[in-house]
Amino acid sequence: MNNHFDFSEMPRILLEAVLILSLGITVGLAVNHRLVTDLLEGNVVAPQVATDAVPAGIELLPLPVDIATVQSALTSGSVLLDARISELFNEEHISGARSFPLDEADTLIPALMEELPPEASLITYCNGYGCPDSYALGVKLLAAGFRNVAVFEGGIPEWRDAGLPIEGEK
Amino acid sequence: MKTWQQWAYHGCRLGLGGLFLYAGLLKADDVPAFAGQIAAYRLLPYQVNYLLAATLPYVEILAGGLLLANRHIRPASLLLAAMTLVFIVALLSVIARGFEIDCGCFGPHDSSTPQQALLRDLGLLVLAHFTFHLRNQCVARKGV
Repeated sequence: MNNHFDFSEMPRILLEAVLILSLGITVGLAVNHRLVTDLLEGNVVAPQVATDAVPAGIELLPLPVDIATVQSALTSGSVLLDARISELFNEEHISGARSFPLDEADTLIPALMEELPPEASLITYCNGYGCPDSYALGVKLLAAGFRNVAVFEGGIPEWRDAGLPIEGEK
Repeated sequence: MKTWQQWAYHGCRLGLGGLFLYAGLLKADDVPAFAGQIAAYRLLPYQVNYLLAATLPYVEILAGGLLLANRHIRPASLLLAAMTLVFIVALLSVIARGFEIDCGCFGPHDSSTPQQALLRDLGLLVLAHFTFHLRNQCVARKGV
């Protein structure tokens, strides 16, 4: 097999590859322009998934939401759940949040299901981007039957840095 | 170019193009779900997860379609190889951090583990390599 490659063609090949990439991105943004607009306006939240639309064996995943979405969701009745241990919750937590430690989720979720309907909007958070507990709690809530679960990945640090209301003993 | 090389070229081209076209169509069908699967990798801010979910499937569809149509083969296969390399890095980071997530490579209902997806991506990289180089043989032979 002749393996000689004419490298003088490489700039043209690279340029065409970039053009294909750009065209694909443009088409994607055009087709999803409504989603992109909502995203830029901070209106994207976790989609509601009907129970019968979920095939058996498929694990649902909570979608991340930003700080502006959390603020607007709280004013419209969403429930904010703090996935950290209760000691940390008592020290400081986002105003209006409930303590819902991941370690106690298996005992707390049945009570929450009696209190709230499956379509209730729930947002979990913990100690920022390095903390996986809020995500793990979101997965548990979805697995339990809640259909509208989101994760505020910025958590306490982003909320505090934004100067938004914090409650606690600190 | 020998006959077996032509067969190998078309096999690699059709296999690679078909796989990416199929994967792109599945992901484009449910962008929010795909965004959730990208979020599970915990590599990017949430806005970027959505933007990637909105655009990546269409790049795959376009590049895969070009390969199936036997047009712009080398740029398309080079682009898909570069994307596959990025996927491999993402999968390695997931494996290194011990996450047990579905790779999401073929849409929301793809339950491949990161390890399985990594093996598949290495196979795709080989396909892209041969598609690119066998196309070079065609171009060199035709003198275009």
